[in-house]
Formats: sequence, structure tokens, C-alpha cells
Amino acid sequence: MSVGFQAVQWNRAKYIYDAVLIAAVVVYLVGFMGIVATIHPPKSTPEWIDLRIRALGTCAFLMLTIILSIGPLARLNPIFLSLLYNRRHFGVLFFLIACAHALSMVQWFAVQDALPSLVEELTAWENYFRFIGFPFKTLGIAALLVFFLMAATSHDYWLNFLRPPVWKALHMLVYVAYGLIVIHVALGIMQRDHSAWIPIMLGASLAWVSGLHIIAGQRERAGDHGQAPSADGWLSAGPPGAIPDKRAKIIAAPGGERIAIYRDGDQVGALSNLCAHQNGPVGEGCIIDGLVTCPWHGYQYRLADGCAPPPFTEKLVTYRVRLRGGAIEVDPRPLPAGTAAAITVPREKM
Amino acid sequence: MTRKHRSVHRALWPIVALVVCFGLVMALVLRAPPRVESSPAAQEMRK
Repeated sequence: MSVGFQAVQWNRAKYIYDAVLIAAVVVYLVGFMGIVATIHPPKSTPEWIDLRIRALGTCAFLMLTIILSIGPLARLNPIFLSLLYNRRHFGVLFFLIACAHALSMVQWFAVQDALPSLVEELTAWENYFRFIGFPFKTLGIAALLVFFLMAATSHDYWLNFLRPPVWKALHMLVYVAYGLIVIHVALGIMQRDHSAWIPIMLGASLAWVSGLHIIAGQRERAGDHGQAPSADGWLSAGPPGAIPDKRAKIIAAPGGERIAIYRDGDQVGALSNLCAHQNGPVGEGCIIDGLVTCPWHGYQYRLADGCAPPPFTEKLVTYRVRLRGGAIEVDPRPLPAGTAAAITVPREKM
Repeated sequence: MTRKHRSVHRALWPIVALVVCFGLVMALVLRAPPRVESSPAAQEMRK
């Protein structure tokens, strides 16, 4: 959150995150090129560029695999939330590495005065109807365009401009781009280089990334079933004491969005589980300094009315809450964002 | 994520995994065998 516009809100954690990230990339690139150049010393400029292409390509693929793992890992275990916090910086650095890989490829053709061959390869239309022999560089270019779109819209300005649902849908194109990259490698270098590590790298990455997403997705399905409402349409959340202090219990009506029921001492309130910033899971956060805090990027809201404290203007949808028969009940029909709806539970009924 | 995004996510990943896995396996099965450098003796025989 910020009072005024800042390109990037740097803080100590972000400096450390980015420094570790850049250092890891440099170590990988230098290590890869050093080891391969020692075993098979390049004999010409194109061979040196080819080595750089491989180093950047494998680095980018590894980074993409890690980036795609952070989301489901954070869903499966909160310990990975710290990686999610700065994932956009990771994504932008990955895009720069992928760009360097593509530019090195162009340079490889250029130093051999063979740029027309590159154009010829990309415009050999008959090859687009073949599987083996398909112009695999086109798949890489298509994926790079998706990554460009994502990197260019990664700033919060675009998030606010496009609104979180559209922005999120746009950024889900990364899954398609990942598929394009796997096939780009399988139809490209894997066809010429018969070493076993390429299919192993591709297969392991695909199994890991898709397995994590499928497992996390199935676990989320349970939370979307929802509970049947009572005769008057309210949902039961159990006794107030069953909601951990300064934490939330998440419930949902069948077919409805999730509701986060927070307890702060004797105050109980129900808010939308969708953070106004990136639709993060507000109910998986906690109360810090008296404010409900989203676990993804730290956006904060008052429990009483779902409003961010001044001067911030974000508001969450709230829900009516009541105490009935010793249980907290929530009306799943949403109130306008920012409507005060929290209640105070008498001490003897906690 | 909204409920809709989660549903799309759940539907999309198995499809992406299957399609990409099929493509990867086919690319492995159909790739040309490695070129074998002929030995000097074999080259001599061809002469």
C-alpha cells in the first residue's frame, strides 16, 4: 500500500530478495558456461554464442519452473508465502533472461551473415504442417510475447487499470506459454542433441509443475463445495471460540465466493475472502496492529467495515453476522463494500 | 482468486499437462536417430 505513486516500493526484504535472485542467476550462468567450456572448449565465436544460448535457455526454463511452482506451493504450505511476495520481480528477471536468450540466437545468425536463413526458417510455411521439423523458434517467440505482456503489465498501475479479475485472467496465459516452451525445447535442441538430460529436464519440470497445480487445485475444490444454509439463508460458522483469535475461519455458500470470518478478541466480522489488490486470500492472513492483513502483499482492512485505514481507499465487501444459539452465523448475501457489519460477542458467550 | 479463476485453473492444468506430455513423448519417439560417425575401416570398405 502507498499514499502516492511509486514505481516500486523498495524495502529491505525486496532488496535482499532481488540480490539473492540476481546472484543465483549470475552463479548459474557463469557456472554453466565455465563447466561446459572446460569440457568442450568452444573453437569459434558462433560456438561461444551457442554456449551462451544454452546457458540462458536452461536458466530461463529453470526460473519459469520455479515461478510456476511458487503459487501452488504457497497454497499447500504457508512457509512459501515469502516467495510469493516478490514473485513479480522474479518474473521480470526471468523475462530479461528469456529476451537475452532470444537476442543471442539472433546474434548467432548475424555473426555468420546468416540472418536471411533465420527469416527463411520462420517463413517456411510448409513446415508449419509438420510435427518434427516444425519451426520451433516460432513457439519460443509466441511464448516470449506472452511473457512480454505479463512483464509489461506486472506493475500495480496495470492491476488497478485492468481490475484484478481481468489482470489475473491475463496472467494465467503463463500456463499456455509454459506448454509452448516445453514443446519449443522438445522440437528444437532435443531433436539435435541426443543427451539424456534434456528429456529428463523437460519431463521432471512438467511432472513437478503440473502435479503441484493439480494437487493444489484439488485441495481448493473442497473449500468451494460450500455448506448448506439454514432455512432463513444464513450460514453457521460454529461457536465464536472456534475461530482462532486474530485469525479467520473461511466458509462459503454453495456456488458463492468464500467469506472470511475474523475474530479480534470479542469482535467478530465477516469480509470477502478476496483482497481488493490481487484477489488474494484475505482469510488466510491475520490481524496485525488491529487490522485484517492479506497474506499476499500486506494490504490491510478494518474488521468493523472492511475499509482500508485512511488515507487508503480500498474496501472489501462485508457480510451481516449474528450470534444465534451459541453459534456465529453469517448472511451470505453481500453488503456494499465498506458497510459496517461486525458485532461484539459478550464475554460469557465466547 | 475468485471461484471462477479456481474453476478455470482446475480445468486448465490437466489439459495443459496432457497435451504437453503427449507432445513431449511424440517428439522423443519421432526424433531422428543420432548420426553415427563411420569408422576409418568402414570408409575404406566403401572405397
